[in-house]
Amino acid sequence: MKRLAALLALLAFGCSPAGGKDEIYVQRFFGECDAQYGQVVDLARAEGECGIVTALFNRFEAEHQDVAIDVNVVAWPGYAQLAAQMAAKDPPDLVTMHQGVISDYVARGLLEPMDDILREAQIDPADFTTASRRGVTKEGRIYGLPWDTIGGLFHINTRLFAQAGLMRGGKPILPRSPAELLAHARQFKRATGKPYLVQSQVNDPATHVRNFYTYMLAQGAAIFPDANHVELQTPEARRVVELFRTIEREGLTTRNQDNPAAIASFLNGDGGIFPTGTWMIGSFEQEAATPGRPLYGGYAVFPYPRLWGEPTPFVDGHSWVMPKRDRSPAQRRALVRLIRFMADHNYDWSRTGHLPAFRQIVESEQFRSLPHRRDIAPLAETGALLPGYVRRQGAIEGLIGEELQAAISGQKPIDGALADAERRVNELLAQTT
Amino acid sequence: MSAGSRRAGMSWPALIGVTIGAIIMAAPLVWTLLLSFKDSAELMRDSGAAFSGPYTLENYQAILAGSSVFRWLLNSIIVSIGTTLGVLALCSLAGYGFARLDFPFRRSLFVFVLLGLAIPEQAVILPQHQLFAELGLHNSYPGLILPGLAGSFGVFFMTQYFKAIPPELDEAAMLDGASRLKTFWTVLLPLTLPAQATLGVFTFLASWNSYWWPLISATRSDMYTLTVGLAASQMNYAQTSGLGFLMAQAVFASIPILIVYVIFQKQIVRAMAGTAVR
Repeated sequence: MKRLAALLALLAFGCSPAGGKDEIYVQRFFGECDAQYGQVVDLARAEGECGIVTALFNRFEAEHQDVAIDVNVVAWPGYAQLAAQMAAKDPPDLVTMHQGVISDYVARGLLEPMDDILREAQIDPADFTTASRRGVTKEGRIYGLPWDTIGGLFHINTRLFAQAGLMRGGKPILPRSPAELLAHARQFKRATGKPYLVQSQVNDPATHVRNFYTYMLAQGAAIFPDANHVELQTPEARRVVELFRTIEREGLTTRNQDNPAAIASFLNGDGGIFPTGTWMIGSFEQEAATPGRPLYGGYAVFPYPRLWGEPTPFVDGHSWVMPKRDRSPAQRRALVRLIRFMADHNYDWSRTGHLPAFRQIVESEQFRSLPHRRDIAPLAETGALLPGYVRRQGAIEGLIGEELQAAISGQKPIDGALADAERRVNELLAQTT
Repeated sequence: MSAGSRRAGMSWPALIGVTIGAIIMAAPLVWTLLLSFKDSAELMRDSGAAFSGPYTLENYQAILAGSSVFRWLLNSIIVSIGTTLGVLALCSLAGYGFARLDFPFRRSLFVFVLLGLAIPEQAVILPQHQLFAELGLHNSYPGLILPGLAGSFGVFFMTQYFKAIPPELDEAAMLDGASRLKTFWTVLLPLTLPAQATLGVFTFLASWNSYWWPLISATRSDMYTLTVGLAASQMNYAQTSGLGFLMAQAVFASIPILIVYVIFQKQIVRAMAGTAVR
């Protein structure tokens, strides 16, 4: 009988998934790399998004023996699974979410405001960068721990820029107006025989939309005047599309390339500027440090130049959000500690190339001494998101991107494409609200 | 007629056409295979590098070293075999019923079943998900297997096959005193083995490759099937910075299917040629 009781006790304890610890269920994207980083707790040894986030959770568990984290890695971007989990009333405790997506979940009451839990974790939202604070603030409340700012940058081949006479004081000369951009591009092509821009234009609506939103916001255009409408048949929109159409028509850009092809072009020195995201800095920097490669010793990166009005590059960001669900006080306390830990290690995450979410880190010498970070740091303050009331941003990006591609490639007249984009987005928003 | 004599009888233009077709079909597969043996950083610079060395096994080592990949493989095997066995059992019984038994509304019910062929999975995904949530079956093997059992195609396929078997066989068995169940089990079912093999192979392939339902039903990584698990293990920019690993995953996921194809090649070819029901 004693044996049976002991066996039952053993089973009860042994079968408990967390072995008596407070268990938190975390869900994230960024891939799975346990094979390489499953045992790594030294954050300096971790590289890349997957490596660093894996090492962070390892480190947290090593430092907090009384908390067990069940990390579920989902297929990018994981929103289909999250929606399914919410429908089944079994969402995770903490989950990665793009800041542009938060509105969709807030509007349906699926996320918990995090003002209180951030206060418990002694995290002051005033310490967030401007872009990050905007990204997680919806309807006046904070719905996430911002984790970074991601956005478009001008990745530049400075060797070709020097050949084109577009370097001054060791830095590339960037245009300050649309006319100057075209003049630089023509000068670049004459001098090098190569296109000024390397662009990913095929199957990549995000690229078109990033350029478009950035220069629409710079002109002070109200792209979404309210939650139910988009306004794209405007002089501001026409100016932006006409600029990119001219670049395309004059052969000042690579053509018909998807993202992998555009990356290969830039790595092989086939053009001057590759407008793409913060996430490519690591790969390009690696090439710039490899002798014999076309980018060797000739790579720089800057935020999009101001061509109109104010410098307001369109950005997004990753954040950690809390789906609504029942949690025990112990689980909540464990979450507070995890959130505090993640905030404390925001610098480690910024080694991915993304900008930190905390102003203090952006301004730190530790961050600014990382390659190129001093040059891109302004993005954390100037970066702008769409208004918090705009829902279905991913689907909208697809629709606008499709029409922009048609207009820029010359398949559709610019006015027609903008009208179609406006109509299609408004139809989508009408279905949403 | 032997394969050799059939080939000998083929005209040159036809042979050239078939060869070109085969090359077009095989080229992406060969390319995928070559990419899987290349270093991802090299492919980021030039995906054409797949056609020249050096080649590496690193991508496969990374897959095999992944902590969960064998768990996902096991899940896929359990779900695919479970679904296949379930479909064969249910569709054989239903097919026999529709082909041999006379019951009220038989024709209407059969038409109703056939309507299922016209309804895509996505159209019923919401109520299906809600139902399984209410039953508490998500993140479980029954949750992954049960939806795959409701197959209109299988019922239709087996019904047609049973109809093609002469009813005199049933009558003879019953005259000898066999019950209906015994007649089904010992006389008719063995005659449907070619159809069972064809249906089994198709069901196994479909279940193995299934992605949408496992994606939203199995949301815990220990219940992922191989397709979902491999997708989850990809980094965000796998198509650019991890192409070699991505292709190795594709090859790895297709190996069990390749084995099934080699074993059941005859049935698959028969089914494709539309001869299995004759």
